[in-house]
Amino acid sequence: MAIGWYLAVSALIFSIGAGGVLVRRNPLVILLCLELMLNAANLALIAFSRMHGNGDGQIFAIIVMVVAACEVCIGLGVIVAMYRRQLPIDVDELRELQG
Amino acid sequence: MNVTDYGWLILLFPLVGSILIGLGHRVLPGRAAGIIGTTAIGLAFLAALGAFFQLQDEPHELRQITSVLYDYASTVGVDAEMSILVDPLSLLMCLVVTGVSTLIHLYSLSYMWSDKGYARFFSYLNFFVFSMLLLVLAGNFLLLIVGWAFVGAASYLLISYWYRRTTATTAGVKAFVINVVGDIGLVLGTYFIFKHTGTLDFLKTFEGAEEFATEGNGDLTAGLILLLVGAFAKSAQVPFHTWLPDAMEGPTPVSSLIHAATMVTAGVYLIARMHPLFEQAPAAADVAAITGAVTLLVAGTIGLVVTDLKRVIAYSTMSQIGYMIMAVGGGAYVAGLFHLMTHAFFKALLFMAAGSVIGAMAGQQDLDKMGGFRKAMPFTFGCFVVGGLALAGVPPFSGFFSKDEILLILGDRGGWYWALYVAGYVGAILTAIYTWRMIFRAFWGEPCPEAKELEAGHLHHAEVHTNPANGEVEDTDVGFPGSEHHIAERNAPMKVAMGGLAVLAVVGGVVQIPEVTHALDSFLEPSFEESAIAQASDNTGLMVFGLALGTVLAMVGIAIAYRLWVQTPEVPARIQARFSFLHRLFVNKWYFDELIDLVIVRPFAWFGRFGQQTFERLVVGAALIGGPTGLVRVGSATVRALQSGFLRAYAALLFAGVAATVFYFLVQS
Amino acid sequence: MTLHLSIFLWLPAALGVLGLFLPGKAARLLAALGALGALGYAITAVVDYDRDQGGLQYVTDRTWISELGIHYKLGLDGLNLFLVLLTTVLFLAAVLWSMRKPIEREQHYWLHMGIGQSAVLGALMAQDLALFVAFFDLMLIPFFFLTAGWSTAENRIPAVMKLVIYTLVGSLLMLVAAIATAVLSKDAAGGELTFVLSDLAQTQLGEGTQNWIFLCFAAAFLVKMPAFPVHGWMPDGYRAMPLPVLAVFSGVLSKVAAYGFLRIVTPLFPDAAVNFQTLMLLIALASILYGSALAFTTTDTRLILGYSSLAQLGFILLGVFALNPQGAQGAILQSVNHGLVVAPAFFLVALASERAGGSEDIRDMGGLAFRAPVMATVFLIVALANLAMPGSANFVGEFFILLGVFKAKLVIACIAFAGVALASVYSLRLFIRVMHNRTGADTDSREMTVRDGLVLVPLILAIVALAFYPQLALQKGEKDVTGAVATAFERSDADEFAKQSASGEGAEDPTQAANAPRPQSGGSGQIVIDPNTGQPVDPNTGQPIDPSTGQPVSPAQEPTP
Repeated sequence: MAIGWYLAVSALIFSIGAGGVLVRRNPLVILLCLELMLNAANLALIAFSRMHGNGDGQIFAIIVMVVAACEVCIGLGVIVAMYRRQLPIDVDELRELQG
Repeated sequence: MNVTDYGWLILLFPLVGSILIGLGHRVLPGRAAGIIGTTAIGLAFLAALGAFFQLQDEPHELRQITSVLYDYASTVGVDAEMSILVDPLSLLMCLVVTGVSTLIHLYSLSYMWSDKGYARFFSYLNFFVFSMLLLVLAGNFLLLIVGWAFVGAASYLLISYWYRRTTATTAGVKAFVINVVGDIGLVLGTYFIFKHTGTLDFLKTFEGAEEFATEGNGDLTAGLILLLVGAFAKSAQVPFHTWLPDAMEGPTPVSSLIHAATMVTAGVYLIARMHPLFEQAPAAADVAAITGAVTLLVAGTIGLVVTDLKRVIAYSTMSQIGYMIMAVGGGAYVAGLFHLMTHAFFKALLFMAAGSVIGAMAGQQDLDKMGGFRKAMPFTFGCFVVGGLALAGVPPFSGFFSKDEILLILGDRGGWYWALYVAGYVGAILTAIYTWRMIFRAFWGEPCPEAKELEAGHLHHAEVHTNPANGEVEDTDVGFPGSEHHIAERNAPMKVAMGGLAVLAVVGGVVQIPEVTHALDSFLEPSFEESAIAQASDNTGLMVFGLALGTVLAMVGIAIAYRLWVQTPEVPARIQARFSFLHRLFVNKWYFDELIDLVIVRPFAWFGRFGQQTFERLVVGAALIGGPTGLVRVGSATVRALQSGFLRAYAALLFAGVAATVFYFLVQS
Repeated sequence: MTLHLSIFLWLPAALGVLGLFLPGKAARLLAALGALGALGYAITAVVDYDRDQGGLQYVTDRTWISELGIHYKLGLDGLNLFLVLLTTVLFLAAVLWSMRKPIEREQHYWLHMGIGQSAVLGALMAQDLALFVAFFDLMLIPFFFLTAGWSTAENRIPAVMKLVIYTLVGSLLMLVAAIATAVLSKDAAGGELTFVLSDLAQTQLGEGTQNWIFLCFAAAFLVKMPAFPVHGWMPDGYRAMPLPVLAVFSGVLSKVAAYGFLRIVTPLFPDAAVNFQTLMLLIALASILYGSALAFTTTDTRLILGYSSLAQLGFILLGVFALNPQGAQGAILQSVNHGLVVAPAFFLVALASERAGGSEDIRDMGGLAFRAPVMATVFLIVALANLAMPGSANFVGEFFILLGVFKAKLVIACIAFAGVALASVYSLRLFIRVMHNRTGADTDSREMTVRDGLVLVPLILAIVALAFYPQLALQKGEKDVTGAVATAFERSDADEFAKQSASGEGAEDPTQAANAPRPQSGGSGQIVIDPNTGQPVDPNTGQPIDPSTGQPVSPAQEPTP
């Protein structure tokens, strides 16, 4: 199968993820969408790895997954902390960082 | 010990005395500070005597000796060393300075006793003597300037000694600033000379004087005129004289020592010291001589109308220094220095006597309020008379010989120096009139209440002390005028000091009586031997004429004063009314203060205010600061506006950016 | 003796960092130790420095960023030796002075002081252009925090922002100029890219390039000094800073800028220095007159000292751009003197303000000398030294500076003397209004404490010692200070000389000839290079001359190109 198909799926998933990050306001969903984007990148990495016939891309994908796991841990932790402090679960409401 | 060892000792004693008293101002009991101070100066006088005798043993041509202690600032072609030059000229000055200082310290021992700043006074006074000795002993230009400025600083400290008086601090600043102007003249003049000779050392400079004069006469004249600015500022010559009358705010011993006997004569010393250069640039020497003549007349006229006792003597000092400057400018070096010496005796004496009178008046200095002290203070009166006769130039008092020698030599030079000769005799009659006006007004006539009180055996003390200058109630926290005052009649040290000076004022002239003695001439000869101008006059006819004229003029002057202020006391007021224009001019001191204020002080203050209020705000604050900081502010405001806090907006920007990058590369490939 | 300058350099900062993890008292002790250790190091270096050998000593040289040719190169020579000593003295004094009162967030305060000292020392000792720029900018950061965090002034934030932004704009120009210097030198001379100063000095850039690079450096240094008219940050900045901080800021940081001129500008860009000599002298003159006028008018004690510093730095700048050995020697000596004088002056202002109900305005002071003779004496010595009274080392500095200017540009020297007279007016005004006259309404005259004396008296003793023996500072620096302006001196001198010979007066100054043999004169002393045409000419007639024969070349004999 040509590499194009893999990339097309990857791009599709990435776009879905990106769109989700842009339109959703719930941090949980944004986190999910970020995961989608990361996995889309993983898919592309593995496809290229296969194409070139070496393992670099796969190793890279695994590192990405580790990072993603860490990120989810922190992200979920932040969301739980927000919930505990009774802050609104809505990224548009959380804008204290404006300049 | 050789001569220069003594020279260094002369410097050491007053410095150590000043530091000792300064460090021990809390723990020194009673009069210890005064005794230490007086002893230190006395020792310096002994060291000067030691040097004097040692120098007499040296061969005639080796009597100019330089000694170097260490390199002071010798680098990149400048040879500034810590060096002193001992020669007859500097030694004469040392003897006069330390001798008169010892007596004045002795006087102060009692006079300042009730002052709360007793130790401070002696510390300053010793520091002054150190500075003055540094000035006269300096072996190079840099050290001369250091001594020059140190005496200015000491003078400042002592003028504003009663520092709670605003008049005193103002007078101090005025004296200091005018003296700094003089220092600048000195430094710039030194630059002009250094530019050609490449050395700061005196003797080396003088060796190159002739060569210098041929290759850069303009620079030499310019440099010397700048040196004269320094000399005029220190010696209160027109137009740099305005600080001297104001300096009378200081305690009377200070006026006596600094503003009469020693510091103000530094200009005379400078010109005498620089005579090898001045002889190569006669134009500069003439400037000095003319300025001296103008000053002696201007000061004499003001002295006629001033009513403050100390200021009369101050103007007389100015006038007498005018004689000396005229003398050394006109080439009569020895005569000028002779007059410097005798003037130190009788003027210090007059100030001391004035201090005694002021003590009896409880701080009051106005001649209008004095009168009839003759019986109440016979000793003081005697001193005043001796000083007055010497100042007026009555034979055989010391001032008679010195003044006439100056005029004799100037007259003998002929040419336009005759103008100076005439000015000198006009000044002589003025001197006699204003001196005796002062004496008659203070000691003759109806005794004033203070004099009556003293005759009854009680010294007057004011209940509330006021500043005589502006009527402000004195802040007696810092001392004088405290509860006690001192007069010579009741204090042994004051009496001894005044008596000693009175004797010197009478007999001081014997060292140089025409055709009889030449002690000073022969002593000073090594310093002036290469001089082309300086030689004793042998014009006997002119000499006899001058001596006679001087005697007559002094007598006439005293007689006029007697007639006006004793016999017909109502006449002066009528003369005043008749010549009210002249009187106003003299009372306002020829408007020199107003002129300086208008030309220098006001424009400068205006410039400062303009800078402060307008320029700083509009140009520096708005344009120059506003520019760069404004740009940064605008930039940061723009960037800040992007930080909306909307997470999704950031994400959108990010995606847009990535998309744009990707798109760019797609199009490129 | 080997001295490790890196230890010296980083000691204060390292102890400051260490102090962060300790309680306040220990941090205080460490800060004092750091300052004291640095002072000990500096004194050792001054004593040990071999003046006969001269040049850079105790050099540390490591490659820092090899691709860019940036070295971590430190060294001491006659130019920076006494400035380094001054820095350590003043920082120790400021650290001790800060301890008089309890400080909030103490550990941070000491950390910033430590970093500040390390940065200043780094800027002074750096022998690499990039390193110098880095330290020069680093100096600012701790002072930003010290002012913003520990000032009591109301408008401290705007004031310190103004200061930082304004000086950073200048620093950016300097960064650009520094990069351009290295890159263009490489283009001109070939070889490796390098930022090391001694290597850069080997190649001379073209005159046009030198000119614009010079202007960039000058902008940075003039703002930092400050000089008229770019001193706008100074009044607010001076009012906002805590006094011990201000003492080192005014005493040391401004000198780094003056030092920068001698370390970087005159050796690397001598042609530009000659070209802009008159401009810089005029700026210096304007600083002197303007600073004096404002110091005479303002009533805020800090600003009197601030504007007086403006004037004094004008003198230092004057000395630098006299572009001859006398001026440069005077400038370095005067930098040390001014630092030694201005720091105790600010401490005294602190004392006076404590006795005048907290006000720092001279209208609220007066009569403080009454029960405080020691304080009055100390104040008097500082005031007299500040007005450069002959007998103080400040006078020796000014004497050399003005002598240098006198030789270079006579008229400017004469006008600059007005600044000397004005200095006496404003210094005495300050002294009298604080110490003398009638007592102010809310004043309380009392002597300074022994603790205050422990800081002030050593500084005063240093002033007095230098007054007695300025030779100490002058002789150790002579060789390197002269070297710093040697090239520029030769070129400016050649100009002057050509001018003089054109008008027929060839009077040659023996001292100048002794100190700077002119390489252009070709050994015989009869030929100079005409700066306009580049041709060898006879100095007396201005005619072209053949260097091999020494005979005039007639136009006919000139080889045609």
